[in-house]
Amino acid sequence: MTSTGVASQTRRLGFHPGAWICWSTCAGIVAFVTTDPVYLLLLWAVAWFVYASHRSAGATAASFRIFVLAGVLALIVRVALVFLGTVNAANVAFAAREGLRLATILVVFGTFNAVTDPFAVVRLAPRRFHEPALAAALALSIAPRTVASVQTVREAQRLRGINVSPLRSLPALAVPVLERGMEDALTLAESMDARGHGGGRRTRYRPQPFTPAAATIAASAALAAGTFLSASFGGWAELHPASLARPEADPLLLVAIAVLAVPGMLKGERA
Amino acid sequence: MRRATAFAVAVVATFAPVVLPAATGAGVACAATTPHAGLVIDTGSRTLELCVELDAARVSGLHLVELAGDQYGLQYGFGLGGQGMCRLDGTGPTGDDCFADYPDFWGFWKGDGSGAWTWAPTGPASSTVGNGELDGWVWGAGDTGNTHAKPPAVSIDAVCPPEASPTPAPQPSATHAPSPTPEPSPDLAGSPSAGPDPRSSATSVPPPTAAPSADASRSPESTQASRSPVATGSRITTTSPVPTAARSTAVLAEAPNDGEGGNGPNRSLAFALTLATIFALGGWFRLRANRRAPEP
Repeated sequence: MTSTGVASQTRRLGFHPGAWICWSTCAGIVAFVTTDPVYLLLLWAVAWFVYASHRSAGATAASFRIFVLAGVLALIVRVALVFLGTVNAANVAFAAREGLRLATILVVFGTFNAVTDPFAVVRLAPRRFHEPALAAALALSIAPRTVASVQTVREAQRLRGINVSPLRSLPALAVPVLERGMEDALTLAESMDARGHGGGRRTRYRPQPFTPAAATIAASAALAAGTFLSASFGGWAELHPASLARPEADPLLLVAIAVLAVPGMLKGERA
Repeated sequence: MRRATAFAVAVVATFAPVVLPAATGAGVACAATTPHAGLVIDTGSRTLELCVELDAARVSGLHLVELAGDQYGLQYGFGLGGQGMCRLDGTGPTGDDCFADYPDFWGFWKGDGSGAWTWAPTGPASSTVGNGELDGWVWGAGDTGNTHAKPPAVSIDAVCPPEASPTPAPQPSATHAPSPTPEPSPDLAGSPSAGPDPRSSATSVPPPTAAPSADASRSPESTQASRSPVATGSRITTTSPVPTAARSTAVLAEAPNDGEGGNGPNRSLAFALTLATIFALGGWFRLRANRRAPEP
């Protein structure tokens, strides 16, 4: 793909991480309150559009694909579990919808991982919470860092002439990946401590302001989530259609999901 | 705004079955115009088949039982932290442990409206029921749908007879409800306020016409609800004294309902498909453009 070394120095930072937190939370809420495949599949398309518009140049962008695969896997496992019990069309359809909801939440999280820098997110945490924030930073960055180190190890093996076949080289791949992961975590924690993480007032060399564009993203996402929550609690639209019924959709709710694509239509800002 | 619309539609829909047969003569095979769901309860000693009016498009299985308690005086008790069904119509444990009488417990079934029953994949708190669907509760032993006793095979039209939909009191429109209405459904007139007055399968009237499926019944419903004030205009005053204010809001409210009705689902599905295609293609073009552009 791209060369990670140089690109990560000058990569596009997109929007304020707070806007992305708000967007992904709201998109997650939308996915959480419905099992209608029409809404969920439209949300996949929106997430893909946002990812394509704002993917960061670094290796974290690959996490989108990983999360999509994880989502598909979750869907398959959820449906497969039905076959342990009573198998009929209604049960399978119901499980597929539940699995699709889970997969959609994973895809939204994958988008969040791909468009934002987990450490920029941690910088938002108040000083008082620096220890939980440190743990959160490590947890958030595990998936993208693992993906990145797999790629690095693969590349190194290929350079050394080791024939990379997925199954047989698995131990040779897993050991360095795990080792790198632990080393990275330690290095990250030490470097955060060494730089006085949580010790005092923090400054940034290039501060990223919460721009009007970021506010637009947050507001539009909140609008979409609010519409779905009002439908969920107000009951004016059907969010959980019967398993075997023909899928239906409320135009207003479709528009609400389309509103979640607003970040994809805005131009990213450089910090 | 939307709630007001829904309320007005509900008012129209409540009076439509009262007025329509009188206006058009007879033979209007209308399903209940407010959302109704069937609740079938088999205690082992007797079977109840209740036609329950819903207060939302979809309600949870537990809320359906609560509505039946309001509308028919059904006795019930929840347990397991309010998530499980312990007691129905005097059968079942009284405490919070709904499995106190295990192996006997309340088995939960979902009916599709045509008489077929499937073992519910989730509990009654998270499972929902909508217009034209059935929930079934059977007291007995058996942990799966293969071993537990099934409810009797009844269709939604047997539980909710199309021409005799109940108009129970709890609607806010109850103040406008016609007090002397001799024509429709004499067996239901006293049921909302009376105690347990379940209609057994023997007394329920079978539908005279072919049972419309849940899908097919939806569009005639909406057209009927919007048509009724126009078609019956002057007769409303004779059969039911609706205040003019209520009638005018109902007439006002019919416009959006009419717009969404008809082939609404198809149109909104096409809309969803268009949006999804736009976003998918847009994302693809964005990726290609970004890849071609040099990294900043």
